[in-house]
Amino acid sequence: MATIDATISVTSDITSSLSISNSMTMKKAGSTTGLELTTGLARRTFTSTNQVDLLTAGSGIAADVTASKSAKLYVKNVGSSTSDYFTIGLGNSSGSGTATVNDNDATFFELGRLYGGDWMIIPWIATSTTGDIAIQPSVATTMNAEYMVFFE
Amino acid sequence: MATTTASLTINSSDLVGDALSLSTSNELNKAGTTTGIDQTTGMTKAYLTATTNIDIFPTLIEGSMAFAGKSSWVYICNKSLDETEYATITISGNVIGRLYAGDFLWMPWSQSEDSAGENLHGDIELAPSVATGMWFEWCMINEGTEYPTAV
Repeated sequence: MATIDATISVTSDITSSLSISNSMTMKKAGSTTGLELTTGLARRTFTSTNQVDLLTAGSGIAADVTASKSAKLYVKNVGSSTSDYFTIGLGNSSGSGTATVNDNDATFFELGRLYGGDWMIIPWIATSTTGDIAIQPSVATTMNAEYMVFFE
Repeated sequence: MATTTASLTINSSDLVGDALSLSTSNELNKAGTTTGIDQTTGMTKAYLTATTNIDIFPTLIEGSMAFAGKSSWVYICNKSLDETEYATITISGNVIGRLYAGDFLWMPWSQSEDSAGENLHGDIELAPSVATGMWFEWCMINEGTEYPTAV
């Protein structure tokens, strides 16, 4: 058993009371036992606007991520551009510059965009038909993403 | 112009052979700009007593184009203390994952329209695993809010 602590802090002057400060210890599903596996921090370089799988459900480490288990996914756009972004989604990547169409038919759905320096951390359930993590750069010039999965 | 900074640290002394330490921080800007995002729903604290799947941002107008191509960030935390209790988080019906007791997520949200026009801003949904009562917190920080017209 390992102990993995994630701490988020969001400070803002949008309102006087907007502040987020929270920590979580990543645990196995329904358990007080810590997650103990990781992909390590991976880095991937993109040079086209093709939408591709960053992680594919049922393949590689994702084969160990199931509905009855716990997993956390961290992704960061390590660029510094304020105009170039990655679009992150759940489901089938198109493999081309035209993204798979958003739909609630369990094929693909867009989550959001990561501009330079943006990061996200989400739970991941890789077993549904939308279990793939798809990524699409906004430009064909070199862009880099880092990602890491913690799982059981 | 507002300034909002989001930071994350991930630490573990025993996950891998050497200590793991990851730290990142960024300012939240309007899409494609260096101007800070300036609107928020504020933090909601909710006690849910049914396993019904709900939209957690119900006041945002369906079909609004105010969000298109803009920047929105979502924070959700399961405040339960029972490790067996979780919430299933979905976007427009597609499962993202489960937040167990104490877990949080932080993610961008495009509020994209689906091809069938059934979920016009890609609803973020939450379903508790039990009906015995679970506490949650959630918040959106964004640009371009549009609210429904009163009827």
